[in-house]
Amino acid sequence: MRACWCVVAMMVLAGCGNEPPALTIAINAGVEGDALKAAAAEWGARNRTRVDIVELPYANLFEKELLDLTSRTGAYDIIMMDDPWFPRMAENGQLAPLEKQPDADFLTSCLDVCREPYSTGAFYALPYVGNSQLFFYRKDLFDKHGMAAPATWSEVLAAGKKIGAAEKMFGYVMRAAPGNAVITDFMPLFWAFGAEMFDSSGRASVASPEAIECVRFMLELGKYSPPGYTGFNADEVSGHLLQSTAVMSINWPAWIAAMDDPARSKVVGKIAFTQVPSAGRKGVAELGAWLLAIPAGSKNKARAADFLFWATTPEQMKEAALRGNPPTRRSVFLDPELRARFRAFPAQLASLETARPRPRTPLWNEIENAFGIRISQANAGSISPQEALQRANQEIEAIVQRAK
Amino acid sequence: MIRNLQRSLPGVPWVAPAVLLLLTLTIYPLIYSVKVSLTGPAGFSLAHYARLVQDRFFLQALTQTLLYTAVALSIEFVLGFALALLIDSLAHGRGFFRAGLLAPMLLPPVVVAVIWRLIYNPQFGVLNGMLRGFGVNTSALTWTSGEGSALASVILVDVWEWTPFLFLLLSAGLQALPQEPLEAARLDGASAWQMFRDIVLPMLKPVIVLAILLRAMDLLRIFDQIFILTQGGPGFATETVSLYIYRTAFRFFNFGYAAAMSFLGLALTVAFARSLMKVMRVAR
Amino acid sequence: MRAAVKYALALVALAVAVAPVYWLVTISIKHDIDQFAVPPLWFRFQPTARHYVEIFGDGNLARSLWNSTFVASVSTMLAMLLGVPAAYGLERLRWPQDWSRKIGFWILSTRMLPPIVTIVPLFLMLRGIGLLNSRLGLILIYTTFNLPFVVWMMQGFFHEVPRELEEAAMMDGDSRMGALVRVVLPVTKPGLAATAVFCLIVAWNEFLFALILTQTSASTTLPVAIASRVTQYEIKWGAMSAAGVVAMVPVLVFAGMAQRYLVRGLSLGGVKG
Repeated sequence: MRACWCVVAMMVLAGCGNEPPALTIAINAGVEGDALKAAAAEWGARNRTRVDIVELPYANLFEKELLDLTSRTGAYDIIMMDDPWFPRMAENGQLAPLEKQPDADFLTSCLDVCREPYSTGAFYALPYVGNSQLFFYRKDLFDKHGMAAPATWSEVLAAGKKIGAAEKMFGYVMRAAPGNAVITDFMPLFWAFGAEMFDSSGRASVASPEAIECVRFMLELGKYSPPGYTGFNADEVSGHLLQSTAVMSINWPAWIAAMDDPARSKVVGKIAFTQVPSAGRKGVAELGAWLLAIPAGSKNKARAADFLFWATTPEQMKEAALRGNPPTRRSVFLDPELRARFRAFPAQLASLETARPRPRTPLWNEIENAFGIRISQANAGSISPQEALQRANQEIEAIVQRAK
Repeated sequence: MIRNLQRSLPGVPWVAPAVLLLLTLTIYPLIYSVKVSLTGPAGFSLAHYARLVQDRFFLQALTQTLLYTAVALSIEFVLGFALALLIDSLAHGRGFFRAGLLAPMLLPPVVVAVIWRLIYNPQFGVLNGMLRGFGVNTSALTWTSGEGSALASVILVDVWEWTPFLFLLLSAGLQALPQEPLEAARLDGASAWQMFRDIVLPMLKPVIVLAILLRAMDLLRIFDQIFILTQGGPGFATETVSLYIYRTAFRFFNFGYAAAMSFLGLALTVAFARSLMKVMRVAR
Repeated sequence: MRAAVKYALALVALAVAVAPVYWLVTISIKHDIDQFAVPPLWFRFQPTARHYVEIFGDGNLARSLWNSTFVASVSTMLAMLLGVPAAYGLERLRWPQDWSRKIGFWILSTRMLPPIVTIVPLFLMLRGIGLLNSRLGLILIYTTFNLPFVVWMMQGFFHEVPRELEEAAMMDGDSRMGALVRVVLPVTKPGLAATAVFCLIVAWNEFLFALILTQTSASTTLPVAIASRVTQYEIKWGAMSAAGVVAMVPVLVFAGMAQRYLVRGLSLGGVKG
């Protein structure tokens, strides 16, 4: 018994002597996070301090960060976040305001999502990764069939039918797994058809005639998509492009490198990247920027700000671009060395300049969840487009009302 | 006074530390949860409980949890019992088989989930790999990533992991059976089936009830493996009550509603446990 | 003939139980190129240790391995130190009416609370006393997790011990505590071992609380560290498997050592209910 106590005491003592790191950064496990991880290591080495990296998968990253913010535990000094999370995270003074204004070299679309309120308020974050959607298509096959890059969704459908049938491929591939996946691919279509998630008074409006027409069109497009696309995520969509089994899709710039990587791709050099197609309205890409922010509860705010501004300087952002991250600065997009190396940079810049963020609401996660389940069900054919949208509308309205 | 207490209740100092620790770490959380579940934007409100009734997602999660529990429990019970009888009837190597068969339930659930991801991955998993080796076209076999097959796939993981638990309890029960009634029946010329039905089964009843009860309680709050394997997806296909509560609490940050759901879940679990005990007592 | 069929069936069951675990181990020591070979390579491949070198490279996994070891062992000891006397007190000392049964049942019923009910308030509590994201916080939680189990199991074991043993010792001048330590505990050693092993396994494997209550590598336990490696898009199979093996081996070794007691412990403490 006494021996037991001794061991307990010893272990408790042994557990105490751990020096806290100079900086703790929570990052997304994946491509976007890898560049930041490398930057943090470099910063740590330069300043001769320890930087602790907490790497988490997408969904858990949000949960951990928000838990830390709402209860101000101060566990993290810098958090990396997907831009739709920002309104929720910036609520109630949970993020520390930036002391310096970011310079004008950052793209406006990326800076707008770092402000609370949107585009007009104070800055609470800096954009680190400039993601916005691009339209991926098989240029070689379009050339072969004498077709130009599709500018409208009806051209996409026509090309999908024709090329798909002639080449025995799937004309189009989209991700329609419920939740984040389906909504990501759905929003550019939704906007192009002239639909809006909320009307001018802030009420849910996803069951509008434009929206119904849009879902009907999506189902039509689905006929030329691989079976089981209602369960697809980004990796399955990219898999079909890489294996040369699909002709077109909407995708994120993070996948561009894979398309030209001979070790993974059967379509090296054959895919071209253009802007998201139009319908009733001009097509706009969805913004998916990754931001860096400092929690108000952090105990190392000054050091964190130091790192934040250092990691987003043009020089460091170029380093990050070389590690595969799309930049958020115009000067980095225009860098000749990078332009020579990344052929999609002009298309990426054009897309990012006009990219539209998801609705700025702290309730986005919950709304996306409900909306996504219904849109996915409509694609799976278990309910009609009209019913799916009406239910989604009710559910979104209920979420908004509950929060009031 | 203290001395008096000491004399009339000599056990108190022995039990007090444990009880105090448990009190602090369970009573406060309980009170807190009850409170937030009854708090709306404007003070006291039953809104969270009212929402439960009309929440279709909760209903679906509940249905799936019950389905998951019923299917997994039946398979695990039958398999576990069969295995216990089989191993018990072996002349040699019982200890060896028992040790091997217990392995899955001892592993960290996280590791179990990792193992089954290696197995189920449609492109690179060993399951589809083996099937392709036999010339099967596996393009439609998506296991945990297909909406139709995901629930069945996670149930299969549960069966693999927890059949050993029922096997263990039932084995122990079989070993503890007195031999005389069985010997007597054998001398009377009873068949193996008759002996099983009329002697083994009734005598094992307490063990069976306990095993089913313990397993059902764990199944009704299943979380770890599904969380890592599918996070409740694709879509909502493998969402269980625990996952939905987790999602509500930590993704949507609605602790009040999460607590309300937990209490309904708790009430259902307790009701189930009581009715199971009652049924078993009547049958006895 | 019938015996042969039985052994064959038993072997099949054993294979189904063990093969997935074996597969995990092979993936952890295979070169990337062999991991996805069709048909799968079960035996013939060139083993490599590089995934293990890789996972221990950045120090985070090593730290969580230590965290897990520390948290599991200290919380087990605490649960035993608190639970064994409680079990003894309930089983052996005089209580009015059926208090002993009632207290025992209450202790057990704390285990029935769904973890999700308690986790948010516990998070707030630990934050309040500065134990969030600390091993000590997890130790406290796991101790309360295991206490009911210890009390329940040990009550069963103490029940088996004849009262005369300790009465004799007390006649010889031992206090109650002395009799417990010198006479009763040695007799119930197998029970103590089985109970402790079970607590260790529960604490080692626990996931949900560790997921919510830890935030950085200062306190992250092994299951959480492994789960955070399971990303949706890019799966590092070798590293993930190696981490899985690291988490699995101690449990199997422990259970193997205590196997004799494990089944017995369970059949007594568990089955008697």
